[in-house]
Amino acid sequence: MKIISGNEAVALAVKLARVGVVGIYPITPQTSIIEKLAEMKANGELDAEIIRVESEHAAMASTFGAAIAGVRAFTATSSQGLLYMHEMTWWVAGSRVPVVMVVATRAVGAPWNIWDENTDFMSERDSGWLMAFASNPQEALDLTLQAFRISEDERVYLPMMVGMDGFILSHMKTNVNIPSQDDVDLFLPSRKQPFVLDSESPVGMGNIFPPIEYMKLRHSIHEAILHSEEVIRKVGIEYQKITGINNYSTLNVKYKLDDADYAVVLMGAWAGDAMEAIDELRKQGLSVGLYRIRYIRPWSEEEITLALKDKKAILVIDRATSMGRGGPLYLELKSTLHHEQMCGVISGLGGVLLNKGDFKEIISRFVERAKQGNAKGITWYYPKGGEKIELKSPRYVEE
Amino acid sequence: MKLQYDYQYFPISIPDKGAGGKTGNWRVVKPVISKEKCIQCKACYLWCPESTIHIDNEVYIDYEYCKGCGVCASVCPVKAISMVMEQ
Repeated sequence: MKIISGNEAVALAVKLARVGVVGIYPITPQTSIIEKLAEMKANGELDAEIIRVESEHAAMASTFGAAIAGVRAFTATSSQGLLYMHEMTWWVAGSRVPVVMVVATRAVGAPWNIWDENTDFMSERDSGWLMAFASNPQEALDLTLQAFRISEDERVYLPMMVGMDGFILSHMKTNVNIPSQDDVDLFLPSRKQPFVLDSESPVGMGNIFPPIEYMKLRHSIHEAILHSEEVIRKVGIEYQKITGINNYSTLNVKYKLDDADYAVVLMGAWAGDAMEAIDELRKQGLSVGLYRIRYIRPWSEEEITLALKDKKAILVIDRATSMGRGGPLYLELKSTLHHEQMCGVISGLGGVLLNKGDFKEIISRFVERAKQGNAKGITWYYPKGGEKIELKSPRYVEE
Repeated sequence: MKLQYDYQYFPISIPDKGAGGKTGNWRVVKPVISKEKCIQCKACYLWCPESTIHIDNEVYIDYEYCKGCGVCASVCPVKAISMVMEQ
């Protein structure tokens, strides 16, 4: 048990996983992960090759090259950096090579903004990576360790990215249980991968594929993501054996949900605030529960339907937008459930902070609307006084 | 490589002799060597840009890879190679 930040927890997980190559390029708020890794390397605690590159595109490319050559590889990034490596993320997923990346989420410009928002992470949903999202530093460490095991499973063989809220998780220091190196070695066997670029048994990689073969490859990635659900549950149970944390046998997490009439769905760090708000609302007699999405890919339709199908109304709180449509979580849930009473709230963009009171307000408003039977549509929520702030931007006005 | 699951495909390929260089069906004219005129000087074998002319006691052309460029016909000192329209 140590008091460490989310970024330090991830760096420790990378060290415990005996990663061989790390492609590093700094970007706020992820920088302290790679600083910590470089520090460990300098102190002789970490036996890994650290490649300093000139851009995030090259960071992912060097990580990818190392992974294809048969080494356990890792990289981390944020926001603009993730968008810069967007092309390489598709290459890695298409190659079916196990790689793990941690994304400390952050808003995307313009305008320049370094605070927390999940839009950058959610914009990678289509690329074929497995995607998990942590809600506290402990979970960031756990998911990073599990990510190596999941992505190197022969039923999956896909890269995996672990998200965490920038600053809120990456720089917040809390108690974190750190498993011992011996336990992790039991949990994480040596690396497996579908093919290795090796001069002894030459294979070509990265060449052109005819249309039908290409489509079959895409189909196989889709199938592998579907099959990864059972793998994730099994790995979660295995992880419980070494750490005793009984939290990973399901993909997503329920909180006071089974006996609730109304459900709140969200993901990430503010689940903690929402839980406290729900505790207080329960005392006031509102029957609400929380469903925290942890895995965006695979999107467990079965689990989500079982958990939410008999609820009277569902509120989805998003920290990301698909501009002009609504929040990504809201859209995904809508396509899963076809629930009549489902409304979306978008908030927390660009580092807007919601506290317990804000959550109480959002949830009690939603319950009132649901009782009247018109819990529909998407609203943008500003915390107290936020809607009164006017943008004082100079405008060109025609005389 | 043994695949355990039917949904596992990987974007790799095993190198093979000239797998990507076959001409297909787009060649317009092809060179034909007249055995009566040919003096086995090997000029066409040296000059063919695709290396499709081989020697097995005498020179012959591998039409799977020949692009029909006509270089062999133009370097032949005795004009033994004629370019014929593809049928």
